[in-house]
Amino acid sequence: MGIAFRGILKASLLSLLIAAPAAAQADWQPTRPVEYIAPANPGGGWDTLVRSTARVIQEEKLAPVNFAAINIPGGGGAIAWAQIAADRGNPHKLFAASPPLILIPLSGRSRVTHQDFTPIARLITDYSIILVTKDSPFQTVNDLFDAMRDDPTISIGGGSAPGSMDHISIASAASAAGLQPNQINYIAFSGGGEAMVSLLGGHVRAVITGAGESQAQLAGGELRALAVSSPERMAILPDVPTFREQGIDYTFDIWRGIMGTPDMPAEAVAYYQDMYARMMESESWAKTRDQLGWIDAYQNSEDFARFLDEQQAQFRAVLGELGMLQN
Amino acid sequence: MEAFDSLIYGFGIALQPGNIMYVFIGVLAGTIIGMLPGLGPISALALMIPITFSMDPASGLILMAGVYYGAIFGGSTSSILLNAPGVAGTVATSFDGYPLARQGKAGKALALAAYASFIGGTVSVIGLMLIAPSLASVAVSFGPAEYFALMVLGLTAVVSLSDKSLVKGLMAAVLGVMISIVGLDRQTGTERYTLDMLELVQGIDFLVVALGIFALGEVFAMLLAGDNGSHQRQKIGSLKLSRSEAKEIAGPVTRGSVLGFFVGVLPGAGATIASFLAYGMEKRIARDGDSFGKGNPKGVAAPESANNAACGGSFVPLLTLGVPGSGSTAVLLGALLVMGVTPGPLMLEQRPDVFWGVIASMYVGNIFLLLLNLPLIPLMARILEIPRPLLLSLIVLFCMIGVYGLKFSSFDLYLLLIFGILGLLMKLYGFPSAPLILALILGDLMEENMRRALQISNGDWMTFVNKPISLTLLIIAFLSLFLPMIIKPIRRRFAGKRQQPA
Repeated sequence: MGIAFRGILKASLLSLLIAAPAAAQADWQPTRPVEYIAPANPGGGWDTLVRSTARVIQEEKLAPVNFAAINIPGGGGAIAWAQIAADRGNPHKLFAASPPLILIPLSGRSRVTHQDFTPIARLITDYSIILVTKDSPFQTVNDLFDAMRDDPTISIGGGSAPGSMDHISIASAASAAGLQPNQINYIAFSGGGEAMVSLLGGHVRAVITGAGESQAQLAGGELRALAVSSPERMAILPDVPTFREQGIDYTFDIWRGIMGTPDMPAEAVAYYQDMYARMMESESWAKTRDQLGWIDAYQNSEDFARFLDEQQAQFRAVLGELGMLQN
Repeated sequence: MEAFDSLIYGFGIALQPGNIMYVFIGVLAGTIIGMLPGLGPISALALMIPITFSMDPASGLILMAGVYYGAIFGGSTSSILLNAPGVAGTVATSFDGYPLARQGKAGKALALAAYASFIGGTVSVIGLMLIAPSLASVAVSFGPAEYFALMVLGLTAVVSLSDKSLVKGLMAAVLGVMISIVGLDRQTGTERYTLDMLELVQGIDFLVVALGIFALGEVFAMLLAGDNGSHQRQKIGSLKLSRSEAKEIAGPVTRGSVLGFFVGVLPGAGATIASFLAYGMEKRIARDGDSFGKGNPKGVAAPESANNAACGGSFVPLLTLGVPGSGSTAVLLGALLVMGVTPGPLMLEQRPDVFWGVIASMYVGNIFLLLLNLPLIPLMARILEIPRPLLLSLIVLFCMIGVYGLKFSSFDLYLLLIFGILGLLMKLYGFPSAPLILALILGDLMEENMRRALQISNGDWMTFVNKPISLTLLIIAFLSLFLPMIIKPIRRRFAGKRQQPA
């Protein structure tokens, strides 16, 4: 009955807000569980961010309510965004965001853009990683790119839709290595986990996904990493060379942050951005972050908004070069 | 012997007093939530996550796994009694379960479902224990081409689900595929058939269609027939299975359990597909196949054993690969990650306590479920003694709660109504609804995997016959479609020849 009950709560809260708007202003804090949305299938980067921050928030008692993780997969995120964009002003709905929020609208695959939402805070960054099976003939990322030059049908799996993060990352990397970006045979799966299983079974030749997501599989020894998109080697993966080390001038940041519904009240934004700042100073955050191999990259709402606009300009240029710009 | 030692170790964890309590709480909560129409394991599991935060990972997963298989165990109740499936996995159960209930054999149908669920669950735990570590290779052997072939095989069941008119069955199936297409295309992000409505961008949820066509359609049909018989009450009937009945369902339950387990192991398939495959298979091989859909006990036993076995099987990709096969196991994966356990190839070495503890707890859980459910059956079945006008109103109410609870969208309620009317029309004009639901579930996955496979093969359709698993599945699909046509005339000729000399 939990869901029905929440529905009733929602209705009564709504009437309360209409009746007494002034009451909410003073010292705002959430009054019912926060719908904390990962716009993808579980097991991926957004999902991990949502669930692990929800856990830290609860452990450190940073909020008076629960942060209830919800997965809304599909369209590389566009399905969840459409839903959240329709929930204007709801202060109890947050979602995890990363480059796809900018890339997908630019490639014409989402009606809503990052400007429709309220930035709350940027939290962390991760990097792209290229994986092959342990017995793959490719020893370096240049082996892979050379082979792709001769045979453009070599399939590269990824966890996001075409024109979204994983695809852009491999296309830009290949472009930096002198390949034609549109020659890449990119296969979209509904998550990095699914893509890695397909690689394990030999259904695709290589996979591009987030370095953090791939840790368990790399530790298992069945998969091997060819390159990571960080400027320097990552502390959690000291054996994996960067693209730069292999002569390809390419880095790619998978930043992750939290966004809210359109026109979220300013006092709610202030509440959440401060809560996340406190969260990132906590002991249990440090443990979680290190375990997942993330790097802190906090920005408050205002800085995050500016950063997002810069990213948009940058991606617009990249997509234009790739001939994928639609919007 | 190794498996035996591991199991002893697992029982050492599962039988700790605290963990026995968690199993009990888990299966109790799960089975109750599962019984309520419209509420599935996902919502129950999501509610459990915060509770498990502070728990030891083994205990946390024992609790949540209990909720999960408990919900599947109890999920057949509303399918059988009200024709209102709460989860996709129990849709196939309603095909014969609901007719049984209407014939005054609700008690028998529920008892059948409970026994079949218990056996399916237990078989899958044994499977997990003996071969889980080596099954990961089965899970990864399925790529896009193989999944496509599996969906094709699943869709051949349309033929056996099409009662009298194959043409009407195919029309219903096409409609189901069309409904599955509505929304954003996952391969390109293009909007399809959304009529520029934001609410349709996300596609139409399976539950809206299932509750509309099955439950609301049935309610409308009863209203239209003026069948409000407030004085006549439906009988519940005996719970007991006769020896001949037990013998009759032994085959379907065994086959359903094994089939369900292996389908559950595939991360892209799961309980729903398992239950439909088992139902279709039994209907085809049964000598009394014609009576399926009209209250054949085998039609309850097969899908119920299969969906519970698949539920156990789904722990293979979850624990050994870290990949969830369904929305429910996805929530389990998320819960494990936040508890600091990363499922994957190293799980067995790093956290044997979680791995073997959970498997052992499932034995305990399944026994609890059987003991809990059998005494509850007469109680649950008394729902049917509620006066008809009140019962119909309750069904409508539950459907609306279930649908609204999906995403708090009133738009979905209008959709529910539309599908209710569609269900009524289909019933009035003799269109079977099962093919529509099957096509709705499979259509989406089939298209997605077909396009992925073709992209990998660079547009070469031979990819579907070049891969042995895919080829085998397609051959089975082909045979199951055309073998009856070939065999029947041959059999008739033989029968004729034998009669001539006599």
